[in-house]
Amino acid sequence: MNHVVCIAYVPDTDTKIKVGASGTSIDEAGVKWIVSPYDEYALEAALRAKEAKGGTVTVLTYGPAAAETGLRDGLARGADEAVRIASEGVGEADSLAVATLLAAQIKTMKADVVWLGNKGVGTDAQLVVPMLGELLDLPHVTLVTELDWKDGSVVAHREIEGATEIVEAPLPVVIGAQKSKAEPRYASLKGIMAAKKKQIAVKKPADLGVDIASMSGANAAVVWTKLELPAARQAVKLVPADDPAKAAEELLRLLREEAKVL
Amino acid sequence: MTNPLLDDRDVAFTLYGVLGAESLLGLPHFEEHSRETFDAFVSVAARFAREAVFPATRALDEDPPRLVDGRVLVSPRLHTLWPKLREMGVIAAARPFEVGGQQLPLAISTAASLYLMAANPALFGFPGLTAGAAHLIEEFGSEALKALYLEPMHEGRFTGTMALTEPHAGSSLADVSTRARPAGDHYLISGSKIFISGGDQDLSENIVHMVLARIEGAPSGIRGVSLFLVPRLRFGVSGLEPNDVGVSGLIHKIGWKALPSVVLSLGEGGDCRGWLVGAPHQGISCMFQMMNEARIMVGANGVATASVAYHESLGYARERPQGRLATSKDPQLPQVPIIEHADVRRMLLRQKAIVEGGMSLLLQTALYADRASHAATEGERQHAQVLLDLLTPVTKSFPAEKGFESTVLALQIHGGYGYTSEYLPEIFFREQKLNSIHEGTTGIQGLDLLGRKVVAHNGAAMRAFAEEIARTCERAAAAGVAASWIGALTGAAVEVSELTKELAQRGRSGDVEGMLCHSADYLELFSTTVIAWQWLLQAAAAREAMASGSSERDFLEGKLAAAQYWLRTELPRVPALVTLCRENEDSYLTMRPSWF
Repeated sequence: MNHVVCIAYVPDTDTKIKVGASGTSIDEAGVKWIVSPYDEYALEAALRAKEAKGGTVTVLTYGPAAAETGLRDGLARGADEAVRIASEGVGEADSLAVATLLAAQIKTMKADVVWLGNKGVGTDAQLVVPMLGELLDLPHVTLVTELDWKDGSVVAHREIEGATEIVEAPLPVVIGAQKSKAEPRYASLKGIMAAKKKQIAVKKPADLGVDIASMSGANAAVVWTKLELPAARQAVKLVPADDPAKAAEELLRLLREEAKVL
Repeated sequence: MTNPLLDDRDVAFTLYGVLGAESLLGLPHFEEHSRETFDAFVSVAARFAREAVFPATRALDEDPPRLVDGRVLVSPRLHTLWPKLREMGVIAAARPFEVGGQQLPLAISTAASLYLMAANPALFGFPGLTAGAAHLIEEFGSEALKALYLEPMHEGRFTGTMALTEPHAGSSLADVSTRARPAGDHYLISGSKIFISGGDQDLSENIVHMVLARIEGAPSGIRGVSLFLVPRLRFGVSGLEPNDVGVSGLIHKIGWKALPSVVLSLGEGGDCRGWLVGAPHQGISCMFQMMNEARIMVGANGVATASVAYHESLGYARERPQGRLATSKDPQLPQVPIIEHADVRRMLLRQKAIVEGGMSLLLQTALYADRASHAATEGERQHAQVLLDLLTPVTKSFPAEKGFESTVLALQIHGGYGYTSEYLPEIFFREQKLNSIHEGTTGIQGLDLLGRKVVAHNGAAMRAFAEEIARTCERAAAAGVAASWIGALTGAAVEVSELTKELAQRGRSGDVEGMLCHSADYLELFSTTVIAWQWLLQAAAAREAMASGSSERDFLEGKLAAAQYWLRTELPRVPALVTLCRENEDSYLTMRPSWF
């Protein structure tokens, strides 16, 4: 069984985000980049499936050369091959452009399961999984925490509000991984050394037959017009509790008039 | 704020910007590596330390090992953490490929270990001790012992210990009395060992003790001590079987609680087998070849604990509002974070100078160890070895002693909360104290430095050190570091050099007590100068980075401020200590036990 794990290389979740000079993207100076945490769960699930049933795991990303660090990390954890679709020279790519590029590459591979994190923590759009399913004409299942294998199909456990939904889908399938009990492993030094010796295949959008200029930058389906930080949190307001009745009254007034939650 | 344990920028800046660790890649021994493999391993260690180990700090402190039916059981959390740690490959990281290692430079594996030690020194005790024991077997063991033990130890299936201390023989290993009686291809061991870290636990399949003992008929004193491999379970016809190694007590420590410290009884049933490692009566010599490594590891623990404490107090000081500045006492104004108060910044800057100066020295020493083993020419290897030997007592004791002071400052910055068990500094405070005690107390490091290292080979180490300082001064001058800072280091180095010659002469003339009486003060003044050297190096690298247009302006300004602090407020203490040593102030020399 062949697994393709799509990974996004995103700013570390501890990063203090600053808006860049353009006003439509972040200031990348000093930002530490990581593999999106949900993608790590996807990779871990794929590696466990490979260990249990054999097959191969390929890690795939769309991004700049720096994103190869994320691919190397995937190889160090146990992936067999890695492919980067180069973003150099491409304008801002929205979810549809990224999904189109990934789909074009995946069509050249024999994938039984295409894995992604349920969302990338970069934009949190949660669009690529369903888009990829549509573009590949494959079933897709999101929010998956556990997968059981059957002949020619998978039974997926989906995390939904207050319950677990269990669905079955035929192979090949696109899976959006949610955080699960299967904690992502850490790369070993031996794995890091082995990963160093592996080649990362680099493809340009044109190599995949994708006219990326027609769907990125100003031509993208989604164009970012403005990026701004959430308003800074206001200082805590303490209501004196000397007289509980008056305090309750004041608290209600504040909730109605200032917080406007009642 | 999440405690980062160490500042990633500082680790990278020190390794590459200050110390040029990438130059190791030019040596054949490290040619399989690259900056990417270095960064990847440090990054994995940092991540595991932050995500998995550090969050367990409180729980591990509150759940010490228990002695149940003769076996030591450790915290269940260790059973979760240990497999992940050993699978990362930390035990054999720096060992050669042919014995299952990955030939990582010691400097890089030390940098990675710092994060793990900062997250929990006790947890790192298991791989640290196992690596040390395995290295002894690799270096001195027979081929048969290597074949049986190295692989499972490097994989962490077997762990290792150093079983040196006996109830009456701690720092004085010449008084070891555990016995070894020849019995065919092995020896029968009998005796008792105390304070054996990791001496028993239920984490690994087996435990391999490296035991100092006397072969029957051996001469008394240090020259009659031999080294033995004594497994808890020995290889028998049907697998591993008991080897008459018992646990007669569990020691209740004030820190490092997750690492059991036990009293071992060897051969109570007359059937404890040990196998000789190295030549008979050469046990101490074998152990001492490993001692540099062990002492560097203790220094690393000192730096690591001081670092996690520093970052804890830095985060607290940034967020804790208290009081108003002296220039604006209006009670209507909001309180300011305590980092706005100059005295808090004094404490933080002192911590920063100790932590980052100590780490710089630690990694510098580890680089000397790498070059001493793997540099291209014999001359380069010898030069590095001489500096490694000279700096090891400082690398061990400075982070232990000043790191303790630094950790106390972290507690102080937390104020009343710091004195409670609700906040972490009290744990760091207890963890840190061990480092001035184990692997040779600070007193022993002072005697080693003054009595052996600075006078070895007719002062060759001091001459090599003076050359390193001169090179640093040249680099600092070229980078535009203030001439007064360079002059301060040069002046102190000259004073230390002259004092050393005087004390050596005192020793040569037969007044050994007069030479060594102030060895603790000598260690302090020498260490202060060594750290000043590292801070001048750091300042030079900071200036170089600024000149090349680095965007990390605040980080680099912080480096210059810490360098200024050390060179202008700590280094001036050196002359007073020099005077103490030179004039041989004799209050504690003449003080008699009955006068107390």
